[in-house]
Amino acid sequence: MTDRYSRQVLFPGIGRSGQVALQKKNVLIIGAGALGAANAEMIVRAGIGRVTIVDRDYVDFSNLQRQNLYTEQDAIDRMPKAEAARKRLTAINSNVIISAFTQDVDTAFLEHIIIEEKIDLIIDGTDNFDIRFVINDVAQKYHVPWVYGACVASGGLSMFVLPGKTPCLHCLMDTMPGAGATCDTAGIISPAVQMTASIQTAEALKWLTGSTDALRGTIFSFDLWKNQFSSVDVQRMKKPDCPSCGVHPIYPFLSYEHTTKFAVLCGRDTVQIRPAGVTKRNLDELADHIKHTASITHQNGFLLSFQQEPYTVTAFGDGRVFIQGVSSIEESKKVYYHFFQ
Amino acid sequence: MIHLHYFAGLKDAAGKAEESLPWEDGTAADVLQWAKTSYPAFDFSAVQIAVNEEYVPRTEPVKPGDHVAFIPPVSGG
Repeated sequence: MTDRYSRQVLFPGIGRSGQVALQKKNVLIIGAGALGAANAEMIVRAGIGRVTIVDRDYVDFSNLQRQNLYTEQDAIDRMPKAEAARKRLTAINSNVIISAFTQDVDTAFLEHIIIEEKIDLIIDGTDNFDIRFVINDVAQKYHVPWVYGACVASGGLSMFVLPGKTPCLHCLMDTMPGAGATCDTAGIISPAVQMTASIQTAEALKWLTGSTDALRGTIFSFDLWKNQFSSVDVQRMKKPDCPSCGVHPIYPFLSYEHTTKFAVLCGRDTVQIRPAGVTKRNLDELADHIKHTASITHQNGFLLSFQQEPYTVTAFGDGRVFIQGVSSIEESKKVYYHFFQ
Repeated sequence: MIHLHYFAGLKDAAGKAEESLPWEDGTAADVLQWAKTSYPAFDFSAVQIAVNEEYVPRTEPVKPGDHVAFIPPVSGG
């Protein structure tokens, strides 16, 4: 056990004191998809004290090409990613305390976790700007740094956001981008994931071990297929009147409207529905209710999946529903309201 | 003359990674307008502009010899 971190301790940037510091730190990883899984594996192997990992999705065969914590059995069982990740991460390093949450991330959840778990750093493993702007506001409000990371096709980018010092995501983007390139439209290769996650984890390790002078302070972006690499200084983009990190912050993305939300999931023909005010769903009752009109394909305590051609519907215990086999949010609404209203 | 650099999907839309543009005077917003007109099929709505490897506001002056890069948003993960 004493040799476990010897090569990392030998590295002068971390050393014995950095390793001791790392073992006292708590990291929150939001999203356990490609970036979340890759970051989680590195940070757990490095010997972080505690990891909290949250994800709303379950493992699908289309994830296995790039999401390094999951197996074919996880996909067959439709294991929630957070649970599958916890199991694999615990097998990798049993010294690390790992908490897993299968649920959608919202403001209330983030605020609760940051305070309860005394989070030192947030790693972005998400796939959309809706949640990144919420993370950005929460990070500013509670003075917790976060590492933005995103990847698509053969490229990616990352930035370390340090409240009170660097610009925040809102400084860089006045308005939330509508549709950027996603892995739905452009695909993704595994090296783009691993490279983006490596940049994120490197910055995380610097911060967590106290090597703040080594922090990069730029947006690093790359494309491994087009052979482009750039490091762009962002410091001048910090805005004194930024609504998220300026002199008089109002954290605009924390006042999230209370309506049922429909969101296309990255990487497949699936829409997620999060009903307003529904935080629990009795899956046994639901199974009883739909068994005459649809065929039940999975039920495992976390979720219930059933089919009515050409759709597959998955209901989670926390109230959310996935509808697979739809080509638009409009179509998903019809299917959803057919079964749930 | 200024030097333009295109990243990610914009490189595909433009069909090239970089090009030069005759230039005397203007701002980052003017360069962006030129790019929008030249590549109308690309959505520039959330594109960030870097001048000489530094993110700048749209009001930033751009001078001959400058390198201007357009960096589209990336959301996947």
